Amino acid sequence: MRRADKDDKPTVYQRVVLKNASPHHYMKIHLVLQDASTRLSAVELKQFIITGLKSLYGEVGAALNFDLLKYDEDTLTALLRVYSRGLVKLWSSLTLLGSYQNQACAFRVLQVSPFLLSLTGNSRDLQLD
Amino acid sequence: MSVFMDLNLSFTADKRVLQSLVETAAHLCLCLQEIPTPTPINKLIDRLPIVQGRSRPIRVLNRLTVVMSDSSHFRPNAVEYRSFDLLAVRPTTEKLFHAACMLYDVDIICICVTEKLPFFFKRAPVSGAVDRGVAFEVSYSAAIRDASMRRYTIANALSLMDTCKGKNVILSSAAEKALELRGPYDITNLGLLFGLSDGDAKEAVSSTCRSVLLHAESRKTASGVIYTVKSSSEPGTPAAKRAKTT
Repeated sequence: MRRADKDDKPTVYQRVVLKNASPHHYMKIHLVLQDASTRLSAVELKQFIITGLKSLYGEVGAALNFDLLKYDEDTLTALLRVYSRGLVKLWSSLTLLGSYQNQACAFRVLQVSPFLLSLTGNSRDLQLD
Repeated sequence: MSVFMDLNLSFTADKRVLQSLVETAAHLCLCLQEIPTPTPINKLIDRLPIVQGRSRPIRVLNRLTVVMSDSSHFRPNAVEYRSFDLLAVRPTTEKLFHAACMLYDVDIICICVTEKLPFFFKRAPVSGAVDRGVAFEVSYSAAIRDASMRRYTIANALSLMDTCKGKNVILSSAAEKALELRGPYDITNLGLLFGLSDGDAKEAVSSTCRSVLLHAESRKTASGVIYTVKSSSEPGTPAAKRAKTT
């Protein structure tokens, strides 16, 4: 049974096979701040991450391309996309970021994957019977 | 693969801070950690938090770190040392480093990360320590706190990795606050920055830590320890995991 508002074409499935390593990596991160009431906008968060990159890797590291795909201001959770060769740099600078505006902070890296789809769920949160 | 461990957490008198430290560690899937005090952890915290992903409470051990600037600071077979599960030394001169690597009955040698290295790591004592099963510890929380400490941490870690080629290195936090702790995969990634290979970096938070613990246990006994693991297929295990009998 087909719904009337959809056209008659059957659903097209696309199969993606990566022969080489995937070009991008996706990271789901969560920022923990000492003062939990502090809120950052998406621009401030990206600027903060770039500051971290710059302090660890200098001007060359700050030129690393990464995108903030999605950001939830209430939970301070963000999705980052980065070229695979920049993953180690980005991740280590996130690890070593320890203070935001003179208050202690920490980035908790929740998930890292070459596929954006796998960040929809976390197998570690599953309740197995 | 063995569990992830953090073998160095600083003791603070504030019980609340300590509790949050242990809880964060449990949340980050770390399984073992050290608090440098001879009091058993049960007296400090009533209920230990469950480690995320394993239905087991976190295991907490006691560790003593002796900072040595003179050879008389470390007294072998002193009675006070017996109550600690782990024994670590931090030598500050080359002579003491040599002695700690070759002679002293310790589990961990801490590498100084807060100042410029006062001496070079020579191949002979380092490989001697690797042969004896003594591990070198690099702690990363100083690198989070301060930018100049970060320089020293990376420089000292790199010069250690040059000499020991990534063998018998553990990465630990030495954290005082919960926000200075990082997850095990973060530390593995940080290990790449310290000049470890992928495999060595992962071992630095898991299996090398386990061998340090076994070394610590064998220090208390005459020669060694043996663990036995039951490898039978009980009816309790799911059918998919049982070996097929045809």
